[in-house]
Amino acid sequence: MSLLVARDIVAGYGAAEQILKKASIHVEAGEIVTIIGPNGAGKSTLLKVVAGLVPAREGSIQLGGEDVTRFGAVDRTRSGISFVPQERNVFGNLSIAENLEISAYRDSGDASRRIEELYERYPMLAGKRRDLARTLSGGQRQILAMAMGLMTAPKLLLLDEPTAGLSPRAADELFDAIVALNRGGLPILMVEQHAVEALAVSTRGYVLVSGKESAEGPGPQLAADPEIRRLFLGG
Amino acid sequence: MTILLQALLNGVMNGALIAVPAIGFTAIFAVLRYPNFAIAAYATIGAFAAWWVNVHFGAGILPALLIAFAVAGCVGVSAEETALKPLRGAGALTVAIGSIALNTVLENVVRLFFGNDLRGYDLPLVPDWRFMGLRVGPQQLQSLFFAVVIMGAVFAFLRYTRFGKAMRAVADNPDLARLKGIEPAHIAVMTIFLGAGLAGIGGVLIGLDASIDPMLGFRVLLTVFAAAVLGGLGSIPGAVAGALAIGIAEECALLVVPATYRSAVGFAAILLVLTVRPRGFFGERAN
Repeated sequence: MSLLVARDIVAGYGAAEQILKKASIHVEAGEIVTIIGPNGAGKSTLLKVVAGLVPAREGSIQLGGEDVTRFGAVDRTRSGISFVPQERNVFGNLSIAENLEISAYRDSGDASRRIEELYERYPMLAGKRRDLARTLSGGQRQILAMAMGLMTAPKLLLLDEPTAGLSPRAADELFDAIVALNRGGLPILMVEQHAVEALAVSTRGYVLVSGKESAEGPGPQLAADPEIRRLFLGG
Repeated sequence: MTILLQALLNGVMNGALIAVPAIGFTAIFAVLRYPNFAIAAYATIGAFAAWWVNVHFGAGILPALLIAFAVAGCVGVSAEETALKPLRGAGALTVAIGSIALNTVLENVVRLFFGNDLRGYDLPLVPDWRFMGLRVGPQQLQSLFFAVVIMGAVFAFLRYTRFGKAMRAVADNPDLARLKGIEPAHIAVMTIFLGAGLAGIGGVLIGLDASIDPMLGFRVLLTVFAAAVLGGLGSIPGAVAGALAIGIAEECALLVVPATYRSAVGFAAILLVLTVRPRGFFGERAN
């Protein structure tokens, strides 16, 4: 049984606007799945629909066999979906420690142990635990955002363009962190602008065009496809 | 020199009292993103609730403050849910205007029940203390003590409690807060309760200094608003700093202008801040 199945999703922001036009994806246990595509294809919208931030007008979403289509964002989080937005993904006026604590708001009983585990995994956060999140660099902020996403012990982590705005070195470090997380058994679904690098570390990938998936395949295979490289990956 | 020191002392005393409702005002702004001018009525209602239990049941100041907090908080939540919440979809300006109307309605409800007479708390009269040529009333010191304790409690609540951190998180980024399982609507209700409750306590502390009447809250509304703007709307430390600055400025202004111009200090402060530093001392949404 697939971990996540989103089937024939139709969604958009305005009443008449339709961004996703029967898009379907699935994520299996242990996978990294990357969605690529041109601007405006609906990649981030699809992640937001899975996270419960944008309602699906049609279609269904199942997580671990449970139908979560009608769940809001809070209930999706409870069900095990953790979404890390592209922007404004940390509480800038809270300290790093507070950002982590508040991320386990619904399940704070085990929060201290989880925070210590995250400090061990990401020592940078431990060293700056009392600093306000707004003082972090872009790469550090993304690490914090990801760590916050892990505080709920999710079944599936959604990352929306995690390397956007980062230097190449910081982006590489973040990809390493994503791969390390996945090796620990956490399935990851991400939208990424650095498509070559993202597909290279992905189990599978989707190409989304005009609100619908137009291709699917193993990540490295998609990254090597000449037609996809020409259309979306800059040669 | 003694006159100036006395003005500074009075300013700190008055500023500390204003800081309590100013914290309530700015906390509501931080979470709900609109200025709630009905805070003036909540201050009045708190003052009258405390007066009622003080005069009719002999309650001391501490239980009277607790009653004021609870009654003003409950009225604040009820008024918000029935009158202001339905306006939120129309934007912040509409809710702000609605809160002015709500303030007028609540003020007149108080007038209906208690009339326009000035009323005083049933407290023993004690002479002022004098030291180094300065004069201070024991009642003022007691009010200052309560104001400082309450401010300390609010800061501790926001910094150390799970709910306080959730309030700060919603003030910072409500969409992200929702993703973390925090329901901004629940936080909004509790913030209104806290903000209106603090206004109620502020009303009592201000009333202890003189007397109370249905216009008590309205008379200090401009000062409270100016304190919040000066400190940076949405910033709680800013509200305290702004209130102290306004309190001192008002008292010092009395050294050179007649008392009738006292409220002009609030207007001048707002004008100055909007011209020179629109974000106030601590900037928007600094915590």
